[in-house]
Order: sequence, then structure tokens, then C-alpha cells
Amino acid sequence: MFMGGSSCLLTVAMYGHKTVCKQGRDDVSYFRYDNSTYAIREDISAAHAQFWQNLSSPGNWWTGAERVAIANEVRNALSCDFCANRKQALSPYSFAGEHRHSDSLSKVAIDAVHRVITDQTRITKAWVDGNVAKGLSKGAYVELAGLAVAMLSIDEFHRALGLSLEELPAPVAGEPDGYMPALAQEGTGFVPMLPDNGAVGDEADLWGDKSANVVRAFSAVPNAVRDWIMISNAQYLSFEGMMNFDSPENRAINRMQIELIAGRVSAINECFY
Amino acid sequence: MLRVSAQVTETEVDLQGVNGVVSAAGTGVEYGAQLMQFAEAFALRDEPSLALAREALLGSAGAAVLVDTAGVAANFQRMVRIADAMGIPVDDMASELSQAVRSELDLTRFESSKNSLKST
Repeated sequence: MFMGGSSCLLTVAMYGHKTVCKQGRDDVSYFRYDNSTYAIREDISAAHAQFWQNLSSPGNWWTGAERVAIANEVRNALSCDFCANRKQALSPYSFAGEHRHSDSLSKVAIDAVHRVITDQTRITKAWVDGNVAKGLSKGAYVELAGLAVAMLSIDEFHRALGLSLEELPAPVAGEPDGYMPALAQEGTGFVPMLPDNGAVGDEADLWGDKSANVVRAFSAVPNAVRDWIMISNAQYLSFEGMMNFDSPENRAINRMQIELIAGRVSAINECFY
Repeated sequence: MLRVSAQVTETEVDLQGVNGVVSAAGTGVEYGAQLMQFAEAFALRDEPSLALAREALLGSAGAAVLVDTAGVAANFQRMVRIADAMGIPVDDMASELSQAVRSELDLTRFESSKNSLKST
């Protein structure tokens, strides 16, 4: 049992206002990559294992069980026939059917996960606002999206290397706390976000005086930003590493190689950003 | 960022590698063609091509390069989803370099530019 060791201390550091320790499977046994033909960098393994621990614990708007269910729904979305067919339709609202899904989440939450994973380009503010009336608050939507994309990033790393996917963690009991930073405000995108100068108090660790919109995007749920940064530090670059345009430390590829890979993936994904 | 890193290292690159031109990807970027083809097969979810690209990259550049490439590629599967799902605009639309790169790569053809081009 891994209780109170370095991983739990990391959780405290990453999650500031909340101290949680997983009480199920020993988290250090996740992401050992024993089945990998290739040596996986330890910081990648550690970040993935830490996310699994965070995933299993209650968040601001979802229980641990619901958060794990959201992660499972990411996997369902990638093999969902309804999503594949809907993506071909002129409008995502003109196509009737049912997602391939598990039974742990509401229909609106299931659809939101599937939209974020398979048809995000056509998400609109009206759709996000409309989901509020169906019971998916903006805070819950931000947390759901943050979990979904972090989960996707980890599963996709496995797919890239031809590795089997990691077993999902057992959820930790407990209730969400409903926390939203007092300074979060509407106006930038579809959801409330902290302003550039809003990383203060409990959120002082998120960024410095100024930040990019893509970092602020999940800031209504600060732990989603922390997960975002943690995984990006391992799989891409840390904020400090991003300032190195030559050969970032602890990488086998230089910055031009990194950005060529990033650029090609983004172009295929039609990512203007 | 590819343009900036090329400028910093005083390397000549061809940004059309980002648009899938193999000869361009190999200009100034070591293993550029293999890296681009791996990223392309991965993002297109073309599993047979991905397996071939994985072996090609492993054979030419080694396991450490392959693992780092997988990490970057997987990371950027989520960036577009963050931007589109949250509806955020790009921060530095006024940047001369940023505008030049977007023009060179014809990025306004993407559906997501409708949100990205809003002023912040």
C-alpha cells in the first residue's frame, strides 16, 4: 500500500488546497511499462501515475467514481460508431442515435466527453450554455474536459508506441467540494477563466504575471490546469523548457524536431491555435 | 515555434513539412522525414502506417527519439481539444512572426479559426 510516501506528497504539492491519497491499488504499480520494448523516461511514467492517482480522487464537481467513468468514456468515444457517423453529418444536431457508452454518467455528460474527444471543432458557446440547463454546469464541464484531454494524451502515448492501455484506477470515496476560484470570470471563451493576473492566493502556483489562453482555459478548475502542466512537462516541455529553442534538457530530440512533430499533428487536427 | 527555433539555431527549414511535404520535413531537421511521417500516421489513426513509421524511426534514430516523439505527438492530440472545447482565442494575433507563419501555412482554412481569430 502506498500511503504517505513521496507520491502522496506530490499530490499535496500539485493539489494545493486538497490532500488526497489513493487507497486502492498501489499507485506505483501503474505505468511501470514492463511490457514496453523501449525504455520510458521516468518523468513520463511518474506523471502518468500521478494523474491516475488524481483521476481516482474526488474533484471539484465530480466524485472519484464519476471521474474514472469520464476516463472510461474517453475510451468508448474512440470506438463509438455514433460519433464516427455524426462527425460526417453537416450538423452535429441533425443526426440521431446513441453513443457507445457505459452507464455511470448522465446522457449530457456522456455526450460532452464524446464531443470533446471526437467532434470538438463544432463545439459552440450555445451548446455549452445549453448543457447548463441540462444539468452540466460550466465548472463540471471544465473538469470533465480537463480529465478527458489528459486521459487522451496518456492513452495516445501508449497507442503511439504500440503499448496496451493502462487499467483504470479504482475510485476513491468522497464528495466533490464545488470549489471555483472567486476571480474566475466569463469573457474569454465559453467558460469562466481566471484573468491573466488572477493566479493569486490558492492559485498562485498556476502561472506568473501573465499566461497564454490555452493555459488559462481550464482555470475554473485549478487542478485541471495542474494536471495539464504536469503531463505537458513530461510529454512536451515545461514552461522553462519552452524558452529553450535549441536543445531542451532531458530530451533525445531538439526543439526543431519537437515542433515539427507538434506542428504536423496539429495541422492534421486542424488546430489553428 | 518551428520557425523561432530555426531562427535561434540559424537553421534553414521549410515549414511545409508541417503540411506533410516529405522533402520539406527533412530540410534542416534531423530525421525530419521520419518524424513527420510518424506524426502523420499517428494523427490520422492509420495504424498500419503508424507501425511502419514506428519501425522506421526506431531503426534510424533509436528508441529514445521514438519515445520522445510519441510523447510530443500524444501531447498535441489534446491541444486542439482544449482550444476548441473552451472556445479560446489565440493570444498573439498581432505578432508579425505569428501572422507570417499562419499565412505561409494557410491556417485560416481550419474550422477552429472562427474562435481562434477573436480578439482577446
